[in-house]
Amino acid sequence: MKIHGCFLAALIQAALLTIASPAARAQEPTTDGYVTRKEYEELKAQMLAMKKELEALKKEKGEVSKQESLESHAVADVQKQVAPKQQNAESQTAGDMHKEVTAEAAPSLAELEASLLGTTKFLLAGWAEAMYEQRNGQVSTFSASFNPIFLWELTPRILFDGRLEIEPSGGGTNVNLVNAQISYLLNDYIAFGVGQFFSPSNVFVERFEPQWINKLPDRPLGVYHGVLPNISVGAQVRGGFPIGPTRADYAFYVSNGPTLSTFDARTAGTLDFNSYTDNNDDKAIGGRVGFLPIPGVEVGYGFETSKPGFQGTTFADLRALVQSVDLEMTRDSDLLKGRINLDAQYAWSKVDHAVYDPDGSLGFGPLPLTAKRDGGYAEIAYRPTKLDVDFLRNLEMIFRWDHLSRAPSGLGDPEEDRWTLGLDYWLSPSTVIKAAYEWDKPKGERNKNALFFQTAMGF
Amino acid sequence: MLTRGLLTALLLLFISTSMNLFADPKAKRKTASESSGAASSDSYMGLTGEELWSNNCLRCHNIRPPTMYGDAQWDVIVHHMRIRANITGKEQRAIVEFLKSSK
Repeated sequence: MKIHGCFLAALIQAALLTIASPAARAQEPTTDGYVTRKEYEELKAQMLAMKKELEALKKEKGEVSKQESLESHAVADVQKQVAPKQQNAESQTAGDMHKEVTAEAAPSLAELEASLLGTTKFLLAGWAEAMYEQRNGQVSTFSASFNPIFLWELTPRILFDGRLEIEPSGGGTNVNLVNAQISYLLNDYIAFGVGQFFSPSNVFVERFEPQWINKLPDRPLGVYHGVLPNISVGAQVRGGFPIGPTRADYAFYVSNGPTLSTFDARTAGTLDFNSYTDNNDDKAIGGRVGFLPIPGVEVGYGFETSKPGFQGTTFADLRALVQSVDLEMTRDSDLLKGRINLDAQYAWSKVDHAVYDPDGSLGFGPLPLTAKRDGGYAEIAYRPTKLDVDFLRNLEMIFRWDHLSRAPSGLGDPEEDRWTLGLDYWLSPSTVIKAAYEWDKPKGERNKNALFFQTAMGF
Repeated sequence: MLTRGLLTALLLLFISTSMNLFADPKAKRKTASESSGAASSDSYMGLTGEELWSNNCLRCHNIRPPTMYGDAQWDVIVHHMRIRANITGKEQRAIVEFLKSSK
């Protein structure tokens, strides 16, 4: 009975399989590359449905993007309206803050930066010159010199400047230290300096000595002949300041001072300003005050007071006083079609009364003397800067008168007057070729007229 | 001697003032807008950097063109010349500003 049931079930299953097999075959994917009609219809229906869905999606997406675009435009418009005001406000605030920060921080940052190693500023400047001189009573000669100037800005407040003079001499070369000064700028109107510097009261030495600036080949009398101090070793304070519509400047210094000549009849009573080491504990005090009434014009008054005698001698308490006045002027003139320079300085020196060589042991005393000496120069130059011809524009004519009184003892150099006529040709603003003739007639002596040619270049 | 010195100073002042009669009227003061130089209204007589450069430098020597030196070199040169020529710090800065802007 049990076997019969199983047999019956198998028969039923076989019959069902036989009936169901065509339908099952129709639903299975074909493997021979063909589809049934039913399958085709079903796929077609699915594809159409998908197509509809795709179009619906496209439409929906288009509407969304259009809406987004409208929204973004609206946002942009709002931003346009709002942003400038906001930016202005923000930038103004930022600007104000920047100003505040810059005002407070910039100077200190600049100072800090400048004080760093490797950021100091150095410059080599100077000039070179070569000259031919033919003077009556002397052998004619060529000469040359190279004058490097070292400028160093260690910080915006601390500066150094030094100059050497290098020139051939005999069989070798002379090297002289002309000046070496460290300066400290306290503020816009005050500067301190220590070292070896040009004496402020000697305007020629301080401003016109470089041969590319000096318009004539040689230097005027009085400047280096014991009347005016030229180089000082000490300390100085100087600067300039406005006074209403005009300006004034000043320079005061304390230095070793000059040495009084007492051993030589020819020079007794004169001041030697080239003695850079002191001969006593007294220090010279000097200075110059300048006034500029109009632009391009300056007048000045200079002085130096000192005790020039050697310490421990009868000359130790003698006082010497040097005074000077000066003028510097530059004017452009349409009337004269050019530029005029006028420079002048005159100085007087006086040493208290003393008796030189009192016991006659030096062979010229006793010589009672109140030593006085004076000297100076005036120079006028004209350059036709307003002419149309280049060659003429580069020419400059110069005339100078200079004077030196006789040596105080009456036994040395006589009174001397010179007139010099010069013609310069400027190759560049600081390169010049000079020619000059000098009429030089010391009183009671034969003339020392001289012819000069010189070329000088500043760099 | 002092009297003679003062008289000479007055004479020099008179000469300098007289020489101003020959001055070029065009070279007289320009306003800041007329000048290409950096304005420096706080400087001496309200002169521009260009005018300060011309007035101060020409008094002693020919002026060198701004292109002759670089900015850093002008800084050093004018800084040192401030001491030599006794110009103020404000004038120095106005001159340097002009020289740097004129290249």
